[in-house]
Amino acid sequence: MIFCRRLLTFALGLSFVFGHLSCTRRVSDQDGTINTVVSANIKGLDPIFSSDVYTNAVVAQIYEPLLTYHYLKRPLTLQPLLAAEMPKVSEDGLTHTFKIKKGIQFQDNPAFPGGKGRELVAEDFIYSWKRLADPRNQSDGFWVFDGRIKGLNEWREAVLKEEADYDTPIAGLVAKDPYTLEIQLTRPYYQLHYVLAMTYTAPVPREAVERYKEEFINNPVGTGPYRFDSWVRNSRVTLVKNPNWREEFYPSEGEPEDRARGLLEDAGQALPFAERIVFHEIIEDQPRWLNFMRGNLDFVDIPKDNFESAVVGDSLSPQLAEKGIFLQVSTEPDVTYTAFNMKDPILGQNVNLRKAISLAYDTETLIERFYNGRAIVAHSPIPPGVDGYDPGFRNPYKEYNLEKAKEYLAKAGFPEGQGLPELEFSTISSPTARQMAEYFQQNMAQLGIRVRISSSSWPQFTNKIREGQAQIYGIAWLGDYPDAENFLQLLYGGNVSPGPNGSNFQNEEFDRLYERASRLPAGPERTRLYQQMRDIVVAQAPWVPGAHRQSYYVAHGWLKNFKRNSMIQDYFKYLRVDPKKRAELKAKL
Amino acid sequence: MSQSQKPPARRNSLWWDALRHLRRQPLAMVSLGVILFYVGLALLCSAGVIFTDYALVDHNRPYQEPSWENWLGTDIFGRDVLARAAHGSITSLSVGFVGTGLALVIGTLLGALAGYFGGRTDDLVVWFYTTVDTIPYILLVVSLAFIMGPSLQTLYLAIGLTFWVSHCRIVRAEFLKHRERDYVQGALAVGASHWRRIFIHILPNIFHLILINFSLVFVTAVKSEVILSFLGLGVEPGVPSWGMMINDARLELPRGVWWGLAAATGFMFFLILAFNLFNDALREALDPKRSRV
Repeated sequence: MIFCRRLLTFALGLSFVFGHLSCTRRVSDQDGTINTVVSANIKGLDPIFSSDVYTNAVVAQIYEPLLTYHYLKRPLTLQPLLAAEMPKVSEDGLTHTFKIKKGIQFQDNPAFPGGKGRELVAEDFIYSWKRLADPRNQSDGFWVFDGRIKGLNEWREAVLKEEADYDTPIAGLVAKDPYTLEIQLTRPYYQLHYVLAMTYTAPVPREAVERYKEEFINNPVGTGPYRFDSWVRNSRVTLVKNPNWREEFYPSEGEPEDRARGLLEDAGQALPFAERIVFHEIIEDQPRWLNFMRGNLDFVDIPKDNFESAVVGDSLSPQLAEKGIFLQVSTEPDVTYTAFNMKDPILGQNVNLRKAISLAYDTETLIERFYNGRAIVAHSPIPPGVDGYDPGFRNPYKEYNLEKAKEYLAKAGFPEGQGLPELEFSTISSPTARQMAEYFQQNMAQLGIRVRISSSSWPQFTNKIREGQAQIYGIAWLGDYPDAENFLQLLYGGNVSPGPNGSNFQNEEFDRLYERASRLPAGPERTRLYQQMRDIVVAQAPWVPGAHRQSYYVAHGWLKNFKRNSMIQDYFKYLRVDPKKRAELKAKL
Repeated sequence: MSQSQKPPARRNSLWWDALRHLRRQPLAMVSLGVILFYVGLALLCSAGVIFTDYALVDHNRPYQEPSWENWLGTDIFGRDVLARAAHGSITSLSVGFVGTGLALVIGTLLGALAGYFGGRTDDLVVWFYTTVDTIPYILLVVSLAFIMGPSLQTLYLAIGLTFWVSHCRIVRAEFLKHRERDYVQGALAVGASHWRRIFIHILPNIFHLILINFSLVFVTAVKSEVILSFLGLGVEPGVPSWGMMINDARLELPRGVWWGLAAATGFMFFLILAFNLFNDALREALDPKRSRV
């Protein structure tokens, strides 16, 4: 399920969505309300269904997992959130012991006796993770624990046969005392700490789930800095400050340039700052942009087609800068790629043909045309910001070189494309995706390779990949956590269709290295294995790596402490709005 | 009285009379001229005589404004917009002619059988077209296009298989009327077969209706092609089409690129306007109740 989950971002980014246009409504300028936007409708407010980034944006402010990322430090660094400290890991890597902070209260709710939130205990995690695993709930987040925790998969099966319930103990999940949680793994899983920073694993109170039942999705009760206030369907969700939230403070260290950028001015101040957050649901690019320009939204990412008017060279256009708007660029751990189906009789057996295609694909022009130059050429599946990425690494088949491409095509047995049947490129039927497919078609035409474009809806497209029916297709992956493993698993032999390895790449050496790396903690040895795997991918060319995209955000001058990274989800507690400055700058808009 | 004063009977036929009437309508003649211009344009484009560079990509010149070199500017890949719009007329006209042709063949055949034979055949055909008619046509077209995937052939079939209903109804009513007429009874008396009575006797007598319907359905077919291509269910990506150009324009307009939209809608506007005007004039010309001069 990880597959659809993260790709969704890409699809919605591209796809042509007929949507309800909602208008933003100003709540109040006095109390430092943050007005933000999500570009797809929110599904519901339950951590086990926080699979898409839009829903997660809201859920992650109400619910909190054990760990989180440091707000300012880069590369991303894990730190405790509900945990009192980073977990103790046994020598064999199989036992992880978490100490939980004392005195953490669930938000007040009628589900608790007297309506007063009770203290969070270790048992709450066990209950919540069983809920995530329960097949009757059909959460798409179970992959984070699938096959990893002792007894959890067995419990899952027993529940289906009605031989177990939520009171049945699980060998791998033990509450040693109310504040100590011990996790026993089936085999070393060093990505565990990353998944414990994902909203899927946030604790929910059993009382509330049992009280609200299927309505729990609309009555969230978490431990987070904000609690649910109201939801106008297809329009906006409002959260308000949780008055009972524990003491937590703004970080006092970050990257060297953070001080100059004013990101450390609030160091040591109590969180959260804003009284209220309003998430507006605005699907279409233009209303989103215009609402930002009118000051109804505090920050947005710049739509592709407004980019030229907003950014000049590397900085913000003077017209926007004059209005106090500022720009923030963040490189996302993401990779776009063109995948070959290795089970295809023509492409699967012919590495020279794949290399020829790779050499004839002009990524720099693609980046210029489709991402406004807002991306860097990808030379391997590993994106910047994750362990194993080497900025100096050059994929020899990634240079745009038609002469070399023609040589490889001749070596492949198809000089000038002669004898090669028409190839099929699958994509989704949105204007940008179609234009990108046409671009691929044009690039291949230069080699004499004929390409037919097959476009379909997003579900049809993913089905086609899952069933191994797509010959060549273009897609993207946004990482779940900052570890190359999350990208290399897209090529692991154990994940072939219908799994996330849609190119059906199977290489014994690669799989052996992957399995070895998954048993290693972060460190030079694991990084070396990642790079060896990368070299195999480059030599075998099951993909043409495309680009690592960058996000360009613009924010109004009244928004303080704004530093975006798509993996940090609980960032609203750090944001502060200056109401005086807002009034002043809004007059200029 | 000389013989020459009596015009030959053929010259007084409905068709001859209609043609004379049409020739006196300047608007109709201009419209016909425009339609013929489009047909000529499509033929010359598909023969590779003009606008041969419609697929020529120039990545150094994306989104160029209209200039002497590119009268209607260039698109995202630096291709000439005028050339692409001109080639779009091949798609539109071919969908118009083939799709409408198919719809009329189906409609005429079923309508003729139902009206002529009546009874169970009639019940069956009426039941069938009523059922098809209850489904909104755009949904039917979209679902057909969805099943078969985007291609020109899909468009022909989608339009052909959905647009026959109203035509079928009219043909059926005409056949119901005509089968009782004396000339058909006369044909029966001299031993003409069913086939002969349907196709040789009755059909030519209702042909003017088929012609009017053709021009009506044609306009809807052209519009449907544009709508389907806009929705990504029309022609294959890469094939020039007005719908596809309008779809691209959604992304281009915020950049201030208006020429793609202007070219596609302009080409479509004049073709549809010409067809509609010509259609009105044709209907009037072929109206038996119009006073003959």
